Amino acid sequence: MSEQPNKEKGILSELFQTFFAKHWPVWVGGILLGVLNIFLFMIKSPWGGSGGYNNWGENVYQAVGVLGIENATPTSASLYGMLNIIIILGAFAGALLSKEFALRIPPIGELIKGFIGGGLMAIGATMGIGCSIGGFFSGIPALSGGAIFLTIGLFLGTLVALKYLLWEMERFPGFSSGKSRTFLAASEKAGNWQIVLGWIVILIGLVIAYTYFGNNNVVMSWFVIIGLMMGLICQRSRFCIVASFRDPFMTGKSSSTTGVIAGLIIGLIGFTAIKIFGIGAGDTALRAREMTWVFPHFWLRAPIGGFIFGVGMTIAGGCAVGALWRFGEGQVKLWVAVLAFLLISPLSKKFIVPAFVDILPQNLQYKNFMPDYIGYTWSVVIVLAILFLWYLFVKWNEKTGKYSAY
Amino acid sequence: METKINETLDCKGLSCPMPMLKLAKKMKGMKSGEVLEMLGTDPGTKSDIPNWCVKTGNLLLEQTDIEAGVNRFVLQKK
Repeated sequence: MSEQPNKEKGILSELFQTFFAKHWPVWVGGILLGVLNIFLFMIKSPWGGSGGYNNWGENVYQAVGVLGIENATPTSASLYGMLNIIIILGAFAGALLSKEFALRIPPIGELIKGFIGGGLMAIGATMGIGCSIGGFFSGIPALSGGAIFLTIGLFLGTLVALKYLLWEMERFPGFSSGKSRTFLAASEKAGNWQIVLGWIVILIGLVIAYTYFGNNNVVMSWFVIIGLMMGLICQRSRFCIVASFRDPFMTGKSSSTTGVIAGLIIGLIGFTAIKIFGIGAGDTALRAREMTWVFPHFWLRAPIGGFIFGVGMTIAGGCAVGALWRFGEGQVKLWVAVLAFLLISPLSKKFIVPAFVDILPQNLQYKNFMPDYIGYTWSVVIVLAILFLWYLFVKWNEKTGKYSAY
Repeated sequence: METKINETLDCKGLSCPMPMLKLAKKMKGMKSGEVLEMLGTDPGTKSDIPNWCVKTGNLLLEQTDIEAGVNRFVLQKK
């Protein structure tokens, strides 16, 4: 008699272990995030990260009463401001359910790097109009010509910052060593409160979604549900755009890159269909639907911003979304990066970007939608070819170690 | 039988990529057969280090949770 319940428990805990005992392959995360990104676009508009940070920052400055910001959208009414909060919540739930949550406070040098990295991400995203998500993970599938240049910038920025990290480690190893602390961690036997709290956090997320639904804000309701899943998926698969650019040149690992490529290909298929057929256009004109996530940064504005962002995300150890899910996991270096990102974004928008944009000629910052010039077929073929070459390169490099530092 | 530890690397509190960078650098400076103990708190290393060992041929002798949140890895240089 006593065998039966045990067996059932065994099956249930096996199911739980499938999701929360081990990390998921990055490509699983990439594909799921690609699909959810299509959902976001069908419902309203694609995934973006930096806009949400800027919204948080504007609200902070408005509350304090500096910078003269008066009409900031309340974060609770800002789709992307909320999406970012909910991604943190989803990652928090993912970390708790797998007992990986802990407050991890690094040595002071690392906190400084978090702040500088976050600040550079803010400047890069406002200069380049787009970050690792809006300008790259969504921008490339959106067939934006500027996104390709932004990606080149991200790539070069990552390489330069990786060189810096290697140099810092050789010359100033003390900068990343020293006193560190860890709080609230669980272990194999202890810390089951994390699992209980994990379920509560998921419940809180669903209640938030339901509240918006009750207030007839169905779009926000979907953004909350999708954000919750995105955060959890990112945390479980350790989906990292910094790693996708960096790791082939560091340890030679290719799995983060293939994961990101998988997400880009899925996004590309869905986005192209949405744009050609005007799916979910509603009241908006077909042309507006086509031009969604095609920003006025072609061509020079995009790589300059991308380069600064690339340096920032590599020093911080997480991009716009990587910082969010690591925040939810309790990595305090990324708390500092998130804080710097939100504080510096409105400052950069108000002071740095206008000065910079005036120097840059207008013909170096316009919207470029690739299908306008070469048609949809060739645009898709070219993007796929670039992704395929990238894939071949990282796989070959992983085998030969030709361009890896270690 | 207790393995003889030649060197210990403390990466507690550090976030990606610092643990992997430090580990790779440390292992580069060690002699074949020597054993390194690494302590870390970044969840990423739990899959990164085994994968890295498979790729580089270094031996992962041990991977355990020694106390709350701290993972211990024992690696032997190829």
